[in-house]
Amino acid sequence: MTDRACEPQPGAVKFTMLLAGIVLLLMMVFGLIMRAAQGNLIELDPTLFYQIMTAHGAGMVGTAGLTGAAILWFFVGRYVPLLPGVYYAFLGLFLFGVILILGGIFIGGYGGGWTFLFPLPAMSGGAWDAGAAASFMVGYTAIGVGFLLYYLEVGRKLIVAYGGIGGALAWPLAFGGGRQEDAPPPTVVAAMATTIFNTIGIVVGAAVLVCSLVNLLAPGFAVDALLAKNMIYFFGHVFINASIYMAVIAVYEIIPQYTGREWKTTRVFAIAWSAVLLFVMAVYPHHLLQDTVMPGWALVMGQVISYLSGIPLLAVTAFSLLVYLRGSKVRWDLASALLVLGVAGWSVGSIPAIIDAMISVNKLMHNTQWVPGHFHIYLILGEVAMSFGFMAWLVKEARKTAMTGLDRAAFAVYLLGGAGFTIMFLVSGALSVPRRWAVHAPEWYLQDRVATGFAMLVILGTLFFVATYARGLMRRRAD
Amino acid sequence: MIGARILTAGLIFSLCLGFRDFFESNPVSHVLIQLPLLAWCGALLAQPAINLEAEWNRGGVVALLIALFGITFWMLPRSIDAALFSPAMEVAKFISLPLCVGAPLAIGWARAHPLLRGFLKAQAVSMLGVMAFLYTHAPVRICNAYLVDDQLRLGYAFLFTAIAVVVLWVAPLFVGSREFHQMRSRSVEAG
Repeated sequence: MTDRACEPQPGAVKFTMLLAGIVLLLMMVFGLIMRAAQGNLIELDPTLFYQIMTAHGAGMVGTAGLTGAAILWFFVGRYVPLLPGVYYAFLGLFLFGVILILGGIFIGGYGGGWTFLFPLPAMSGGAWDAGAAASFMVGYTAIGVGFLLYYLEVGRKLIVAYGGIGGALAWPLAFGGGRQEDAPPPTVVAAMATTIFNTIGIVVGAAVLVCSLVNLLAPGFAVDALLAKNMIYFFGHVFINASIYMAVIAVYEIIPQYTGREWKTTRVFAIAWSAVLLFVMAVYPHHLLQDTVMPGWALVMGQVISYLSGIPLLAVTAFSLLVYLRGSKVRWDLASALLVLGVAGWSVGSIPAIIDAMISVNKLMHNTQWVPGHFHIYLILGEVAMSFGFMAWLVKEARKTAMTGLDRAAFAVYLLGGAGFTIMFLVSGALSVPRRWAVHAPEWYLQDRVATGFAMLVILGTLFFVATYARGLMRRRAD
Repeated sequence: MIGARILTAGLIFSLCLGFRDFFESNPVSHVLIQLPLLAWCGALLAQPAINLEAEWNRGGVVALLIALFGITFWMLPRSIDAALFSPAMEVAKFISLPLCVGAPLAIGWARAHPLLRGFLKAQAVSMLGVMAFLYTHAPVRICNAYLVDDQLRLGYAFLFTAIAVVVLWVAPLFVGSREFHQMRSRSVEAG
């Protein structure tokens, strides 16, 4: 099945990426508003702050998932024929879910955070009614159903084409006597692993959403709060990680065009992805290290697997990338630069994550800005950078020059803004500045204001990337 | 072959009817054994019809919808209660489960697109999970005919059934289809 079919629904994927670019921009503006409000640069009603925070969190996670899904669909379609209707159904359900979520937040007033942690949606203290929380959660459920449909199609086609889950994960090569030339391409291995763990994550998320909805509408059906928290963080952790793992497929597919060397499925690569499949699901208790009622073994597992989880994929992908780049005469452009930045940001972001996953550190740092520091590195300099790289690659042919001075400036502005913005979070975290607070003490204003400046740079860079992409799409259409 | 199917269906139906009191004395055996067995009777009897092409049932959608509505009706605790207290409902149960659930499910399933089958399997697992939650967390007694402890047992039985069904459906996916491996062997032999 290595014969390359054409990319499926290129128009739909390009539209998805345009939509995602605009939403990312809007979510970044939300982030800027929050940081400016924390720095006392603007007045913002705390009620509105929490609504914006909820929209920002749900919007960023959802858009990261959407861009990852578009990338996976686009490249998996090179190896197996995918049903176009499924992608449109996925996109339709996603947009329907977004409408419900935004309605729940900005019309209903829901501000309980993207994690909808039980029993907060049902206990707002009068800030929002049950209908608003229900709209938010039904929106999530609609998006979940769309994703399940999407993975059903991807999974079923890979299973048929590559001889089962084991074949698509390259297990004959990893654990048997399989030959490297018979192994599926890296895209297939990554897509199969992501399909498995994100399907499990979404099913768990859907289950806790349904339980929370029942509780919201019939409070007599009480949910075990600890079980609900475990299920929510399992879903949340797996989903956001899956968005990065899906986006990295763009690196496997696009970078070889620049290096002239095919990204191969080696034995180490196959073993690494199988390890990721387990680690990404088993590591989630590191989000619950402050829940002292959790079983001790689960917390220890969360810490130990956090140490291990960075090794298989990051080491393999980042190391392989360096090997492929070394000695290759790469003609740098916006696409390749952003994709390489994505892998670098992803690698760097894992360091503060692992530090926070140590029980002794987590006791102090978990509720500080250290945590948004690490996941903003993962996103701004990781997943989102890869998505922008994919967008730049999609319109590459429409552009006359490889890398203009403006491209270089935009890339530098984005990198500087992203690094500065996330470092300010880490610095604030190290200084014990709490996260999720609408109002900050005057002693914390300096970091907030510096971060606001860096946020502006990120938005400036993003504006350029999205505008360049939109212009490229229009030019291609005109041609 | 058809005779064997009719005989098997008849035997299962007789078993459900003859041991009615035994099955219905406990909600677990009532809901998770007797009802599926009755549906199975219908599926066995419908086998000769599953290959018939019919315009009205393209993709198996109509037959599957009939089956889904039938299942939805018999998922309601009120229906289970009514079957125990009303002879008319008991008769309706013995007729509707084979004819409105088992038979259309078999006819529709055979013609359904693999994606629709996968979606329905996922939906079945989800609904088993939701039922497990509702029966184990309900603050009130749901069925008049069964005690709260029975209802709790049924909830856990739904959960275990969901797990079993997942294992049953997912385990074969780890190894490829026979056709794939035959094709692979042929290509290896051909060099």
